[in-house]
Amino acid sequence: MKKWQVAVVMVLATLGSWFAFASTAQAKTYTIATDTTFAPFEFQAKGGKYKGIDIDILNAIAKKENIKYKLKAISFGAAVQQLSANQVDGVIAGMNVTPERKQTFDFSDAYYTSGVVMAVAKGSSVKSFKDLKGKTVALKTGTAGATYAKSIESKYGFKIKYFNDSNNMYNDVKVGNSAACFEDYPVMSYGIKNGIALKIVSKQYEAGDYGFAVKKGKNAELLKKFNAGLKAIKADGQYKKIVDKYLHSSESSLTGETASSRTFVGLFTQNLSTIGSGLWMTLELTVISIILATIMGMILGVLGVMPGKLGPAISSTIIYIFRGMPLMVLAFFIYIGFPDLIGHGFKIPAFIAGMITLMLNEGAYTGAFVKGGFQAVDDGQMEAARSLGLPYWTAMRKVIMPQGIRIMIPSFINQFIITLKDTSILSVIGIVELTQTGTLIIARNFEGFKIWLMIAIIYLVIITLLTWLSNWVQRRMN
Amino acid sequence: MAKVIVKDLHKSYGDNEVLKGLNLEVEDNEVVCMIGPSGSGKSTFLRCLNDLEVPTKGQIVISGYDLSDKGTNINLVRENIGMVFQHFNLFPHLTVMQNITLAPVQLKKESKETADATAHELLKTVGLADKADAMPNSLSGGQQQRVAIARALAMKPKIMLFDEPTSALDPEMVGDVLDVMKKLAAGGMTMIVVTHEMGFAKEVADRVVFMADGLIQESGKPDDVFDHPKSPRLQDFLNKVINV
Repeated sequence: MKKWQVAVVMVLATLGSWFAFASTAQAKTYTIATDTTFAPFEFQAKGGKYKGIDIDILNAIAKKENIKYKLKAISFGAAVQQLSANQVDGVIAGMNVTPERKQTFDFSDAYYTSGVVMAVAKGSSVKSFKDLKGKTVALKTGTAGATYAKSIESKYGFKIKYFNDSNNMYNDVKVGNSAACFEDYPVMSYGIKNGIALKIVSKQYEAGDYGFAVKKGKNAELLKKFNAGLKAIKADGQYKKIVDKYLHSSESSLTGETASSRTFVGLFTQNLSTIGSGLWMTLELTVISIILATIMGMILGVLGVMPGKLGPAISSTIIYIFRGMPLMVLAFFIYIGFPDLIGHGFKIPAFIAGMITLMLNEGAYTGAFVKGGFQAVDDGQMEAARSLGLPYWTAMRKVIMPQGIRIMIPSFINQFIITLKDTSILSVIGIVELTQTGTLIIARNFEGFKIWLMIAIIYLVIITLLTWLSNWVQRRMN
Repeated sequence: MAKVIVKDLHKSYGDNEVLKGLNLEVEDNEVVCMIGPSGSGKSTFLRCLNDLEVPTKGQIVISGYDLSDKGTNINLVRENIGMVFQHFNLFPHLTVMQNITLAPVQLKKESKETADATAHELLKTVGLADKADAMPNSLSGGQQQRVAIARALAMKPKIMLFDEPTSALDPEMVGDVLDVMKKLAAGGMTMIVVTHEMGFAKEVADRVVFMADGLIQESGKPDDVFDHPKSPRLQDFLNKVINV
């Protein structure tokens, strides 16, 4: 075998063993999914650890009942989807028990009862539902607040705008794009106490129960233990302690951040390790994906210019499919849809799913310009090489490829930069890369502007370095 | 046995029939010049001889290899046929030396050292001994074409095909290239040359073949073809070419 063939086999073998490892290792412990930004029920504290009422209750119950589990913090929507797709064993995420959800999930006894409130910007004149007529209301998908607001939408004549994330929802209200938002009372009150410039202007509506959920008909054992544990921690006073800790204290004592260090530099040094690990994840994903996408793109490109009809047909079909699909749809399909299709508890770790997503999408784009680059080499070159008696593949390797690749270099650099930026989209399947890190930090300290500025600068710095590196390589090649 | 035997050669692109049944035999050491108006099928015919174009119908046998036989290894046949193109087609990413040694080394005909030595000899023959390390783009058209000839000769072919080798050159470059070709002919190389250089054809060719409308209209010794053309098509063609 040639060197490159060995490399391809090794990459495939590594991927294969990852899959095998992932499906055996996770079977022993329960995987419990939670939301990332739902303080005080769950939020990331300084240093990257998750805290909150849900997390602490789960932890206390697990100790009582001897449950082994791994916590997986992803967006609420992804957590619910993964539970129904059997990717996780349970979800604890301030989830309201509703009749619709009961059709897909089995719920524990209620561990908290909460009502929905309406919040508006501090200086807003909106005082009641009636004032919302013709205005826009911000909602977070899948929440009790969203369900309640939807039910009174036509009665009060407002428009609805959905967000995936509490902070973006608050911010939309704060800057005045939306007139109000609907949120669970403890969440809203915690946020306001911690610096969100909103105010609550309604009483609590639609009191609802929060429950721990498993997929219907599955994990009955886990549910039984949860209920037993809940009873036990309510009885011994641990439960009350946990709830009081979060609803009757200020944020700084919980997250470990001091209020004085809210300057740009202060925020940066405080969150250095969190940002660093996010950055590392982004770089890891980028580098691996670039390598895989380049291999895939080269294969697609060569197939695309092969004589005969089969190669080009395969190449254009693959490029057509994966270039035409939005990256986010592809990520969801591979992470959630594909295991669902296979069944048998098949799971793909988020990192692998993210890597495959980027490889397919960026690989398709790469394939398109690689094909174009080879086609841009004058036909006479191939004829001259073949007329000397060189076989097709030797001619390809020695004559066409070196010239084609030179034509492609600017496209490659461009694609590398796009790949780096596209990693941010993978936060939707719960990969905590640089962008998601930003979301998590803001969920805790609400410093949207400074943190996003910080994240943007980091991206620009890496892209600048990447561009320099590429230019250097380009100069060397010429 | 003749080096090249072509029987009833047809080539169509869709409905357009470019070659309409050609027959030609070329002997060892023979130099055949093919003349005729543009679009008469000369280049297509030449490209059929090393399978750059696949004939629609007919038979081509070169040095005993039957090209229409599926079992024939076309790469092996091509090693024995050198081809020189109108637009040189040098490999722009390789030096002159690398252009010449690429095929012999890749096909393991010669070691790198032997190939280098051969290449230096060939460059001397075409008068470009000092250009071994130059990049093709730094050479004039005439120099590039002479490198292309050296590149083809490096494979030690038994037959050389020339497809309008001087048509893309500035007039003052044409002489150098033709001189190299004359040297080759004098050395006994079997050559088929598609050309518009009537002077060269007259001086060097053993036989001149006149093609028009996808068929060989007339062929014979240069003196006969140029001084005593029989067919009206050839008379008309020569009138136009010589009285420019």
